[in-house]
Amino acid sequence: MPAWVVVLLVTLGYLALSLAVGLFSGRRASSGTEGYVAGDRNLGFLVMYFVMGASIFSAFAFLGGPGWAYSRGAAAFYILAYGTIGLVPWYFFGPRVARLGRKYGYVTQAELFAHRFESKALSAVLALIALVAFIPYLVLQIKGAGYVFNIVTEGRMPVWAGAALAYAVVLVYVFKSGVMGVAWTNTFQGIFMMVLAWGLGLYLPWKLFGGVGKMFQALAEEVPEMLTAPGLGSSGEPWSWGAYSSAIAISALGFSLWPHYFMKIYTARDIRTLKKTVVFYPTFQIFLIPILFIGFSGILRFPDVVPADAILPTILMGLDLPAVVIGLFCAGALAASMSTGDAILHAAGSVVIRDFYRVLFRPEMSDAAQTFWIRAMVLVIGAVSYYLAVATDVSLVLLLLLSYGFLAQIFPVIVTTFFWPRATPQGVLAGLGAGCAVTILFNLMPSLQWQGIHPGIWGLLVNVPVQVVVSLLTPAMDENHVNKFVVQ
Amino acid sequence: MRGLRFFGSHLTRTQRRVYGAVLVFYLFAFAAMVWPLMTLFNRVRPLVLGMPFSLFFIACVVVASFLVQLSLFRWEQRQQGPEPPEDES
Repeated sequence: MPAWVVVLLVTLGYLALSLAVGLFSGRRASSGTEGYVAGDRNLGFLVMYFVMGASIFSAFAFLGGPGWAYSRGAAAFYILAYGTIGLVPWYFFGPRVARLGRKYGYVTQAELFAHRFESKALSAVLALIALVAFIPYLVLQIKGAGYVFNIVTEGRMPVWAGAALAYAVVLVYVFKSGVMGVAWTNTFQGIFMMVLAWGLGLYLPWKLFGGVGKMFQALAEEVPEMLTAPGLGSSGEPWSWGAYSSAIAISALGFSLWPHYFMKIYTARDIRTLKKTVVFYPTFQIFLIPILFIGFSGILRFPDVVPADAILPTILMGLDLPAVVIGLFCAGALAASMSTGDAILHAAGSVVIRDFYRVLFRPEMSDAAQTFWIRAMVLVIGAVSYYLAVATDVSLVLLLLLSYGFLAQIFPVIVTTFFWPRATPQGVLAGLGAGCAVTILFNLMPSLQWQGIHPGIWGLLVNVPVQVVVSLLTPAMDENHVNKFVVQ
Repeated sequence: MRGLRFFGSHLTRTQRRVYGAVLVFYLFAFAAMVWPLMTLFNRVRPLVLGMPFSLFFIACVVVASFLVQLSLFRWEQRQQGPEPPEDES
């Protein structure tokens, strides 16, 4: 049997197993939106831990992480840095979000804010921000899955077919099992990726240099500039401290507000489970270290790989490894892509229906109808993203850059929701609008970015004062209503 | 009704101090990983556990922030028994 057939079989076997896990899990949740979107608010610690960890362990971490370490050196440390502190805010606002969610029946992020500020417009704006952040990430994950199949079959299977196969599986279990399908497949995929990350991260430096220490010893002689922050920029020039530091800041602020993570707050069984998930999250972050080793191991032995994200498959193909090992790697890359893609797909469907369509056009929509339309929306968004991923060459770079910048603009909203009673809907909307507008402007005109500082930071510098001033100029909200949310 | 409210009124002084200290720790953890504090630890050598010192330092921050959060969690458990308090800072 030719090697590529073995590799393909291992990958397909993994895909079948994911499907089985995803389908089996759906039986455990009720059929309404609480069950489909929030898992009846009954997820335990182990599942919560992997849902959070594996959603973050995306195709970006698995292929992009080594790619960054390989082409930009210590710049990749930023991924490690922001994740460490990114989830900490959850420990403080998460329990309040969870309790209010249980009391008032929220299953999405915008529902909380729209209720606090009694504003339909806010719900719609947040739904749009979520979509802008989601679509490019989803498209990237789908592309990633397509490339995996393309590589394992040595080009015999085109990217479009591989992407279709992997995401057909995702669609089936998200469609049928909702958040429970996402949760249980992520647990399975998460364990798989952890084993693979440590396995490859320690094996490759050993195979190529005789150990991690010897590898860095060699790198310290040859390319010391790649081993200290802020590392290199995207075209090989030294990266600026301003860009490195602000990338950490904006990612850390936006991280806890990704709508598909935020929604998982509602799925936790109780406050203790939620807090424990946050506490143990940095242990997942540690797994990024061997992932970075993989990229560093390629710098001296495999120079000039383009694109840099292909460094891991390139090393694996260059080492003459057994076909089963390569198959396992491909399954891991697929797991990374699918475990992020499924969560985003599920969240995007929920957000469009609950926060946009229902709020603006169909407030009387029944629970059963909502679940039905969320499922339909999952199919539509899946199809659109698939089309963008394989059939067009639309550049998503601008949207990708906007994602974190936009998400960080929501951070002041969560602060005022819980800690500033005087905030008003007008203030919040004006702040968000101004912040997002400035973020777009600075993205379009990089020359404005003094010291390379991230557009989202400039957005926040406008967002916060606008929110405060407009709030103070508009009438305060009803005290009894506000007191349901604000710290007493 | 105007000012920022960070602490629930039922929290004791000790509890406020602990939450305040944790908050300060995380501000420091962030500051330590970016300019200008990071420049103090931003060296290739000595290699520790095989890693450049810069990477080892960030790994230490990851571990430290895990330990701080774990201690806070366990401290809360001891304070309130099995169910954490109704409102945090």
